[in-house]
Amino acid sequence: MLMDIERDQRRFKQIVRGRIRENLRKYITHGEMIGRKGKEVVSIPVPKLDVPRFRFGKNGSGGVGQGEGEIGQPIGKPGDDPGAAGGAGSEPGDGHFMEVEVALEELAAMLGDELELPRIEPKGTANITSEKSKYNTIRQTGPESLRHFKRTYLSALRRQISTGTYQPDDPYVVPVKSDKQYRSWNDVPKPEVNAVVIYLMDVSGSMTDDQKEIVRTEAFWIDTWLASQYQGLETRYIIHDAVAKEVDEHTFYHTRESGGTRISSAYKVCAELVKKSFPVEDWNIYCFQFSDGDNWGDDNREAFDLLSEKLLPTANLFCYGQVESPYGSGDFIEALRKQYQEHETLVLSDIRDKEGIYESIRTFLGKGK
Amino acid sequence: MKLRDEFLQELQNHLGQTNCDLAVTDGPRTLNCKIEQCDPLAVAITQLTLETSELASVDVAKLQAASQSLCQRVNYLLEPISPIETDADGCVVQMRSSPPQKNDAGRYYYELLLRRGGAVALCRYEKLAGTARSQVAATLTHEVLGRLTEDFNATIDEVLAS
Repeated sequence: MLMDIERDQRRFKQIVRGRIRENLRKYITHGEMIGRKGKEVVSIPVPKLDVPRFRFGKNGSGGVGQGEGEIGQPIGKPGDDPGAAGGAGSEPGDGHFMEVEVALEELAAMLGDELELPRIEPKGTANITSEKSKYNTIRQTGPESLRHFKRTYLSALRRQISTGTYQPDDPYVVPVKSDKQYRSWNDVPKPEVNAVVIYLMDVSGSMTDDQKEIVRTEAFWIDTWLASQYQGLETRYIIHDAVAKEVDEHTFYHTRESGGTRISSAYKVCAELVKKSFPVEDWNIYCFQFSDGDNWGDDNREAFDLLSEKLLPTANLFCYGQVESPYGSGDFIEALRKQYQEHETLVLSDIRDKEGIYESIRTFLGKGK
Repeated sequence: MKLRDEFLQELQNHLGQTNCDLAVTDGPRTLNCKIEQCDPLAVAITQLTLETSELASVDVAKLQAASQSLCQRVNYLLEPISPIETDADGCVVQMRSSPPQKNDAGRYYYELLLRRGGAVALCRYEKLAGTARSQVAATLTHEVLGRLTEDFNATIDEVLAS
């Protein structure tokens, strides 16, 4: 009986995984899983299946048909007992949910399938090599923990046969020091392709917490996808209002400034960061910028100069997502469209609300670059 | 007071006119108003700006303090106004309706800019669903326009006095 229930439960989990796949759009849009992200897995809340089990009562407390009352006496109507529970509530219950752990890699695969994302073709060939130790040779010396038992005894056998000390009737093989063989390693150059994701966000007064939540959700999925495509994925964060600075992840999502919007300040810091830390020959560089597009005054010209000269030539992909604020969307995205039209490296996306995240991710990552 | 009275008088002179500019000067201060339609009760304006050379050397901190005061004074429009962004380089404070007005069609808000140089300007924007944001006419009664003129004047006086 128990085995059957466990089998059912396993089957339920498989169904749940299918459900996650089906409802991925909802999860992408609402970012329910972001707060539950671990290092390798995320936990996703899904409806729970309770496994039924017997609950034992107290001994001697009677059974069915026991207790006070006469035969034929009605047991009362619902609600007669003032201490009884009330009627049905109007709010949904907060229980009946279980968390299913899904590996980030599996999630990325689901995302790729759902959005039909092409695999990324890294820029250039494998351009960073790292030394990896591989146990692929044998040596005469080494620690006993690495002694190769079989080879050691073969060597001893060979020696004994060649010296005539081996007796088939009494087949003892006793290794001496010179017979001992040890596993050893070689340093093998292993090609790796590394990538850096640089997020730039406008945190000026017109960007509210809702806009930041959209950025946070979108960044989670971008990270998940890119991490599945590159082994060494670095992430850097830049915030700006009229001035820009590099910050950590927490500051990136929780800062609100009251300064004006000067996008060029963020481009400047980003260009310096790339120049200093991520040589373009060695790194695949991805920039994702989010703003409400309300750039101040004459800053567009300076921003475009930096973008044309420093960022677009170095980045695999430069994505700009314009997130609509309570005041609507600014003009920056239109100015970019006019300036760059169909630029190979520049991808633009209008994100009106949370529902727009899905299409935006497809737009950004759909180029396979 | 003189600026307000002259402005209201000029509005009376422009009754029934459409798409015209109106300017009234009082010493170093000039009030410019871009009128879309001027009726006896109300005026549809696309911009109301009080310009002056008196704010040429003020710093951003003074402008910020003045913008706070202006937002408290101007509490008779369709939505409350709050400072949103400050551009320290350009020495400009941007104030907007907070929160903007929302309905099924879209969102609407006033924007006021207080800048060194100097000027106080008001205009109105709408953002309809599925379209880009655009500037629209703000319809204000003569009385409200007179009061705005007074409050713009008082803000400049306050910056100069601080």
